[in-house]
Amino acid sequence: MRRLPVYFLLDTSGSMFGEPIQALNNALSGMISTLRSDAQASETLWISIITFDREVKEVMPLTDLQSLQLPEITCPRSGPTFTGKALEFLCEKVKNDIKKGTPDQKGDWKPLLFLFTDGKPSDLQLYKEVIPKVKAINFGAVVGCAAGNLSDDEKLKELTDTVVHLETADSNTLKQFFLWVSDTIEQGNKSMGTSSTVTLPPPPSEDIIVI
Amino acid sequence: MNREKNYVTELLSKQGINVSKNEQLLDAFVSDDEIQDSIISIKKLQKRIMEKWKIKTRVLDFKNTSIIIPNGTEGFDYNHNFDSQFFIEKEVISYAFKGLEELGLTFDPKANSISGKLIANGSFKIQILFKVEGEEDSSELHEKSINFVINPDPKSLWKNIPSDKEAIYWKEDNRSSAMDIGDKKIVVSSKRGRSHQNVGSFRDDDFAYKHFEKTGWTVVTVADGAGSASLSRKGSELACQELINYLEEEVSDETWNQFDIEIKKFITSKDEQALINAKELGIQSLYQSVLHSHKHIKKIAEDTYDQYPEIFTNPRAKNNFDYFHSTLICAVFKKIEEKYVIITFSVGDCPIGIVNKDKTKAKLLNWLDVGEFGGGTRFVTQAEIFHSKERPPATRFNLHIEEDFSYLFLMTDGIYDAKFEVEANLEKTEKWLTFLNDLDGNNEDKIKVDFSEEHEVVEEQLNNWMDFWSKGNHDDRTLAIIY
Repeated sequence: MRRLPVYFLLDTSGSMFGEPIQALNNALSGMISTLRSDAQASETLWISIITFDREVKEVMPLTDLQSLQLPEITCPRSGPTFTGKALEFLCEKVKNDIKKGTPDQKGDWKPLLFLFTDGKPSDLQLYKEVIPKVKAINFGAVVGCAAGNLSDDEKLKELTDTVVHLETADSNTLKQFFLWVSDTIEQGNKSMGTSSTVTLPPPPSEDIIVI
Repeated sequence: MNREKNYVTELLSKQGINVSKNEQLLDAFVSDDEIQDSIISIKKLQKRIMEKWKIKTRVLDFKNTSIIIPNGTEGFDYNHNFDSQFFIEKEVISYAFKGLEELGLTFDPKANSISGKLIANGSFKIQILFKVEGEEDSSELHEKSINFVINPDPKSLWKNIPSDKEAIYWKEDNRSSAMDIGDKKIVVSSKRGRSHQNVGSFRDDDFAYKHFEKTGWTVVTVADGAGSASLSRKGSELACQELINYLEEEVSDETWNQFDIEIKKFITSKDEQALINAKELGIQSLYQSVLHSHKHIKKIAEDTYDQYPEIFTNPRAKNNFDYFHSTLICAVFKKIEEKYVIITFSVGDCPIGIVNKDKTKAKLLNWLDVGEFGGGTRFVTQAEIFHSKERPPATRFNLHIEEDFSYLFLMTDGIYDAKFEVEANLEKTEKWLTFLNDLDGNNEDKIKVDFSEEHEVVEEQLNNWMDFWSKGNHDDRTLAIIY
């Protein structure tokens, strides 16, 4: 069976402390429930969650949706946003996780990447350096999500053409965003059997703008 | 006596009173009965406080222990054994579970396990009611929650929405056929995959076959339209049908006759030149037929665009042809001089396999276009297949001379992915024999295809067999069997 690997890179820097991180946890859990009851996703989806602040942590290694148990995502009270370091870590992970097709092994579907941030990279130099490496990985889709007015859409634009802007990181907006993410993942599933990239579904509300 | 003395000395010294100079007074003081009783009471009370504290920390410790139990699936048996030392190590002396019954589970204290057939799905909390060491029988139970996820039964999630009959190039969801072809028989079944049923989209697979009475040749084609190409259902249909049309109408009787002569010559005299001549004739004819299919689909793509430009909206399609992408495999065969001559063509990831008469040897007759990632296939609708240096077009065609065979299979990846899993397995005789066993009823649903039955029966049995369940494999399925 071919797997559809999906990577979540989540910003847990100081600005996420309090209500936003709570909202993020709830939204993730809602998204997982939705995906569990999607016929296609429930069988093929594998999810990995990596958080980044001052440190980069793989809070959940690539796990199949049926046996996955969502960990509680926490964040420090303050600290920088090491987006570059996170992407560098991701590249290593993807290299090890993803099964390529060989005569003896079923290849995975092209992985998807969702990067969620509410700020701008603190390690700009590394961020710039690592972008070509991320692009060299054959992702089926890379979606950058910038939440709140402190986030930097332009920096995300350097990473991917698909940038989604959320007005706020409140519970309702995040919930809608992650439902949209699950739609996107389901699309990814549907377009299997092609070498083309994933078509994004329309955004769910006016608080979410696809740039 | 000494113990009491020490106790009082320590107590007084904590208050800053030094008794070392009043040794005699201290001796008299601690021999007083009342003082002695008080010291015993204090020590008892202290011990009780200590015990209570220990109980509290044991409870807290257990409550903070993360207990992770694996997820279950609705409708399936579930069993989880706790480590026999787990509760003992945590100094939990009595425990029971709450909230199991409504999930279909029971707790077995002997085996230290929860088990049963799950009857619900979602995210649940199971409560453990417990007491720790040191607590009395009458004390109240503590409660701890553990999370438990039950996945929905995967089979229950699939919907079956019929495809839109009014849509352009609508195609029957399922189609099958069986008949005699010369001294062999054929049965073919093509079914819309669950992934398409689930969203009401069309079957993209297709097949066609024809036995030419006059020349004795049979041609069988199978095609798999690309999931991403919105009109691939038509692409696969045209690919199959047009190849046969060309072979029938454009390849002359003389060519066929000449082919027969050369092959006979080779079989009887081992004249290699005759084989080369035959190959050229056969492969040329098939090449022309494939090229015709390619061109015809291109023409239909342009015609369709002229008529319905509004449906050509995919920003990623480079030309109108891309909407019709389809793979194609084909076997053209005839019995000559007691041998079977089979000419094959393939583009894409669909295998053609043959099993010898006494079912001891099987082999793959083509090579598959596969990529590093899922979906790296090639299509008959791509011009590059006719001039690729990497994958030379000539290698896509082959001429095989076989002794009699028991089965010749043509299938789409909907069958191959589920039953053979990986490409390398198509090269293994034992995997083909397992596949035969599977068709013979050796499968989860015990559904057998009895090839000794009448055509209609075999066709119906194969249609039933095609519905097998395979996790993650819900593509269209097409299987052609010549036997």
